[in-house]
Amino acid sequence: MKTFFSLLVTLIALSLPVRGSAEPRTIRILHVNDFHGFAHPVQAPDMAQPLGGAARLAHRIAQLRSERPSLLLAAGDMIQGDSWANLNSGAAVIEFMNLLRFDALVTGNHEYDFGRETLEKRISEAVFPVLAANVSGVKGVQPVTVITRNGLRIAVVGLVTDDTPETSHPRNTRNLHFAKPLERAMELVRELRGKADLIVLLTHIGHAADRELAQSLSGPLSAAPHHSMRMGNLLIVGGHSHTRVEHPVRIGSNYVAQAWEHGKTLGVIDVVVDGGAIVSLEGHLEEITAAGGVGDPQVADLVKRYDERSTALLSAVVGTAAVDLVQEGVRRQETNLGNLVADVVRDTTKADVAIVNGGSIRSGISRGPVTMKDVYATLPFDNYLVAVRMSGAQLRDTLEHGVSAVERGEGRFPQVSGLSFAFDPSRSAGQRVVRVELGGKPLDPNREYVVATLDFIAAGGDGYRAFGAAIRSAGDFSDTGGALHSSRLAYNDPGRWLRDIVADYLRTHAALAPALEGRIRKVR
Amino acid sequence: MRVFVNDRAVDLAPGMTVRHALLAALGREPISTVGVYDAWGQLLGLDGAVREGDRLRVVEPEATVQGEGL
Repeated sequence: MKTFFSLLVTLIALSLPVRGSAEPRTIRILHVNDFHGFAHPVQAPDMAQPLGGAARLAHRIAQLRSERPSLLLAAGDMIQGDSWANLNSGAAVIEFMNLLRFDALVTGNHEYDFGRETLEKRISEAVFPVLAANVSGVKGVQPVTVITRNGLRIAVVGLVTDDTPETSHPRNTRNLHFAKPLERAMELVRELRGKADLIVLLTHIGHAADRELAQSLSGPLSAAPHHSMRMGNLLIVGGHSHTRVEHPVRIGSNYVAQAWEHGKTLGVIDVVVDGGAIVSLEGHLEEITAAGGVGDPQVADLVKRYDERSTALLSAVVGTAAVDLVQEGVRRQETNLGNLVADVVRDTTKADVAIVNGGSIRSGISRGPVTMKDVYATLPFDNYLVAVRMSGAQLRDTLEHGVSAVERGEGRFPQVSGLSFAFDPSRSAGQRVVRVELGGKPLDPNREYVVATLDFIAAGGDGYRAFGAAIRSAGDFSDTGGALHSSRLAYNDPGRWLRDIVADYLRTHAALAPALEGRIRKVR
Repeated sequence: MRVFVNDRAVDLAPGMTVRHALLAALGREPISTVGVYDAWGQLLGLDGAVREGDRLRVVEPEATVQGEGL
C-alpha cells in the first residue's frame, strides 16, 4: 500500500508542469552513504578524535536543516556491517532513519545481505521511499520518488551496482534482476527531463562509475538535429567506493558527490535551480565530531536501546560445548577448536577442504553453555567465507606456506578440515609437508579441489598466495538465474561473518565435542 | 578482478574491497593510520568497493613500509 501511494504521488507530481524561470530557488541536499550500522563514533585514519556517531550526525543534520529547505538522502549500504545493525538484521538502522525523516534511500549491494524477505520487511518498516530503478523482483522498491520542497520538484532516481549477484550469496538475489545502471538512468532521465526542476541520481555504483555515468549523461537529450536540451545538469549522489569527495566534482554538465563512510562525514550541497537547470552548486563534507556535544537525545536513546538489546543477544546461549574448546596452540598444532571452525567452514561452503588460519581464532570456550559473546570473542574479525577451485599442487603449496613459520607461532598456521597432513618442522620452510591425504588417499597434485577459507587468506593475508593465483584465472564470472558461475570461484558470501555462521552452527547442532583426530601431525 | 596498488597488480575475487587489495599487496592487514587514495587523489575507506582496473595509491607512515610488496 505504501508503495502504491508513493507511486501515485510521483505520478501526480510528474503530471504537473515544471516551474518557469520566475526566480531561482535553493535546495540543500544532505547525504550519507555506506553507514554500515556504525551508530557509535569510530576512529578514522590520521584523526585525533573519533568521528561519526548516529546521535551526533542527527544533531548536525537538524542544525543544517533549520537553515534552509533540505533533502536528506542515503546512498546505500546503511543497514549491514557493524554488530549494532547486524544483530537485528538492520532494523535499528531503519528506525534511526525514520527518526531522522530521511527522504530516500537507494539500496546498496549490502542491503541484500540478509536476504530478500528481510529486505522487504525493512522496506515495509521504512517511512521513506527505498529506491532501485535497475532492480526488479523486490517488493516495495520503487525506481524514482518525486519530492516537492521550497516550490521545487525534485526527482530522485535510485541505481545500484549490477554486480550485486556476484558479490552476494546467490540465495540473496535469487529471482531478482539487476539491469545496467547507465541504461536505466538514460531511460529515466529522458522521461523525467522537463517534468522535474532537479534530477538527482542516488547511486550505489562507486565513484569511478559515477564519473562515467556523469560523462555519459552529458550528451544531448535527443539525437534530433538542433535539439538544445541536454541530458545532463544532474546531481549524482553516490556510494559504494567509500570515497571522500571533499567537494562535488563537475563532470561534463553534471556533478558527482560522495560522503566517505560510516557517518564520519555528512555531505552538504546547496543547489540553486532555475527553469529546470542548476544555476549554481556548492558543496562540502562536514566531519561529525564531538564539537556538537553528545548529539540528538532521541537518537542517543535509540542507540542505547539497541545496545542493550545487543548485550542481551550476546549473553544468550546459542549452544553447548560438551568439551573444552581449546584455542591454546592454535598457531602451532591441531586443536579441537580449530577443527570445529574449519569443519563449519567446510560444511557451509560444501567444499572438499577448508583451511583457516590459526590467527583468526583468538580465544577458547569452556565446556558448558556457549553464548554469542563467547563466539564473538573467539572469532572477533569481520571474516567471510570464500571457496576456490585449485589444483592439488596449489593446495600442497598452501599447506607448505601455512607451516613455514610454525617455529615463530605465526597466525598463518592452518587449521584444516577434509584432509590430514604431516610436516617436519626441522626441514627448511617450503619443504616441510611430507604427506597430505584426503579421505585416506594421497593428494593428487593434478586433480582439482574446492578449497574454502576466509576472505583474509583468499586475498593474500598472512602471506598466502595460492588462493590469489587461483582467483587470477577466474575471469569468467557470469550470473545465470541468480546463481554465480565461475570456473574457479565456488563460494563467495561477503555479507555474512564467520562468527555468525559458527553461532548458527551451534544453534542447530547438539552438544559439540570436537576431538583431536590426527589431522595435523608433526614428524621428524 | 585485477586492481593496482602503488602500480603493483593484485587479483581479487568479486566483492573484495580496498582492504583486500592492500592485503594482497602487503601480505598483512594495513595499519590503522594508512591512507589509501584513488586515481583522483581522493581518500578511500578500507571497506570501499574496488573494481577492475582501479589504481590505488597507499601512503603509510615511513617506518612501517618494510613488509612484503610495497
